[in-house]
Amino acid sequence: MIEDLLQSNPGWANFGIFFLLGAVLLLVVLGFVTYGILAERKVMGYMQLRHGPNQVGGRWGLLQTVADVLKLLLKEDIIPKLADRPLFILAPVIAFAPSFMVLATIPFTDKFQFADIGIGLLYYIAVSGLTTIGVVAGGWASNNKYALLGGMRAAAQMISYEIPLVMSVLGIILLSGSLNLNDIVEAQKHGWYILLQPVAFIIFMIASVAELNRTPFDLPEAENELVAGYHVEYSGFRWAFFMLAEYVYLFAMSALITVIFLGGWLPPLSILGFIPGAVWFSLKFTLVLFIYIWFRVAFPRFRADKLMEFGWKVLLPIALANIFLTALIKTLFFS
Amino acid sequence: MTFSGEFIAFMLLALAAVIGGVLLLNLTNVVHMIIALVFTFVSIAGIYILLSAEFIAGAQILIYSGAITIIMLFGIMLTKHNDTSEGKPSLWRRLFLLLGVLGFAFAVYIGIYNLDLAPQTNHLHENNTLQIGKALYSKHIIPFELTSVLLLVALVGSIILAKKDEKGGE
Repeated sequence: MIEDLLQSNPGWANFGIFFLLGAVLLLVVLGFVTYGILAERKVMGYMQLRHGPNQVGGRWGLLQTVADVLKLLLKEDIIPKLADRPLFILAPVIAFAPSFMVLATIPFTDKFQFADIGIGLLYYIAVSGLTTIGVVAGGWASNNKYALLGGMRAAAQMISYEIPLVMSVLGIILLSGSLNLNDIVEAQKHGWYILLQPVAFIIFMIASVAELNRTPFDLPEAENELVAGYHVEYSGFRWAFFMLAEYVYLFAMSALITVIFLGGWLPPLSILGFIPGAVWFSLKFTLVLFIYIWFRVAFPRFRADKLMEFGWKVLLPIALANIFLTALIKTLFFS
Repeated sequence: MTFSGEFIAFMLLALAAVIGGVLLLNLTNVVHMIIALVFTFVSIAGIYILLSAEFIAGAQILIYSGAITIIMLFGIMLTKHNDTSEGKPSLWRRLFLLLGVLGFAFAVYIGIYNLDLAPQTNHLHENNTLQIGKALYSKHIIPFELTSVLLLVALVGSIILAKKDEKGGE
C-alpha cells in the first residue's frame, strides 16, 4: 500500500494520508512509551520486593504514567539565564526527531511497514547516531558542568559502542547477503540468526544497551555522580522530549533485535503458522523488552574507564573474530 | 503548472543545505556553526537518496553527520569553546576574496555549461549497495586497499602522537 502511495502523483490528498499515517504511528508509539514506563516500574518493583505504582488508575496503576505526563506538560518551562538559548531549545528536537525517523524502516509484519529501503539496517544505525548531536548540544547549551560532563560521556559512549554494534551485525549481513530488513527476515525461514550467530547476538545486546544509555551503561545520566547528566537544566516539556527519545529508541531497538535476530514476524515452527505474524512479532518484542528491563534492575553501573576498555578491548575484537569466522564458514560450507 | 514530488523534495533539501551553509559562514559561535553544518550534511544525504544512491546517503549520515561532527564538537568543547570569530578583515583582503570567488564561479560555469554527460546505463539504482561492493572489490581493489592502508597509518600516527604528549607531561 505504501509502495503505491510513494509512486503516485504528489498532491494534498497524499500529503494528508502520509501525515495521518505518521500521526497514528506517533500516537501508537506514545501509547507504548506510556505503558512501557509503567511496565518497567512494575517489573522493577516486583524484582525489588515491592509493588510499584498501585494508586492511580486501579490496583495496577494503569493511569500513573498518564498522570505523570500531564504533570510534566503543566510544569513551568525554565530556560537558565546563562544558557545558550537557541541551542537549548533546538537540542531536544534534534535528539527526538531521529528516534522517530528510524521507526519508518522497521517491518512489523510482512505488510505493515512504512518504508522498504534497500539499506534498512544501515539507515537505522546511521540515523540513530544523530541523536548524539542533540544530547551533546543540550549538555553544552545548558552551561552547567554536570550537563557538559554528561553530554561528553554520552558522545564518547555512543561512538565507542556504535562500532561493536555495527561489527556484530556484519555477520548477519554476510549470511543473509542483504541490508534490507525484509530480506533479513526472509532469510531466517530456516533458522533464526540468534541460533546461527549467538556471539553476534550477545555483542549486539550489550552494545545496544550502551547505545540506549540504560543501566549498566547509564553513565551519561548517572544520578549519583552527575545529578542527571545532560538534561540537568531541562524541565517540563523539553525534558519530556529527551525521555521520550530514550523510550522510543527502546521501542525501536527491541523491534530491531526482533527483526534481525528473532526472525521478525515468522513463527518459530511452521506448524504454528496459523497464528498471525503480528502476534509473533509482539510476543518476541515483549520478550526483548523484558530482557532490557531485567538488565536494568539486575546490574550495577559500569565504571567510566572500564566502560571504554570493555567496548574497545573486549567487544570489538570478539566482533571482528565473529566476522572472520562467519566469512570462513560461509566460504567453506555455503558457497 | 504541476511540480513532481521529486522536484519539491529537491527544492526543500537544496534550500536546507544552502541555508545550513550560509548559517555556517555567518554565525559567530563555533558550536552553532557545527549544528548548521549538520543540517547541510543531512540535506546532502537526502539529495543522494533522490539520486537513488542509498548507500552513499547512509554512509554520508553515518560518517559525516554522526562521527565527524561529534569529533569536531569534542575538539571544540574541550578547548576554549567561548571563542567567537575575529573581526572583519581589511578592504584589500575582501577585494581579493571577491576576485577569487568570481574567478571560481566563472571557472565552474565554463566547466559545467558545455558539459556533455554521455547517457549512462540506467540500472545503477537497482541493488545499489551490491553494485558498489562488486565495483570496489573487483575493478577498484587497489585504490580501496591503498585507502585502508592510509587510514591505518593515520590511526597509528595519531596514537603515537597522543602517547608522546602523555610522556612529556610527566
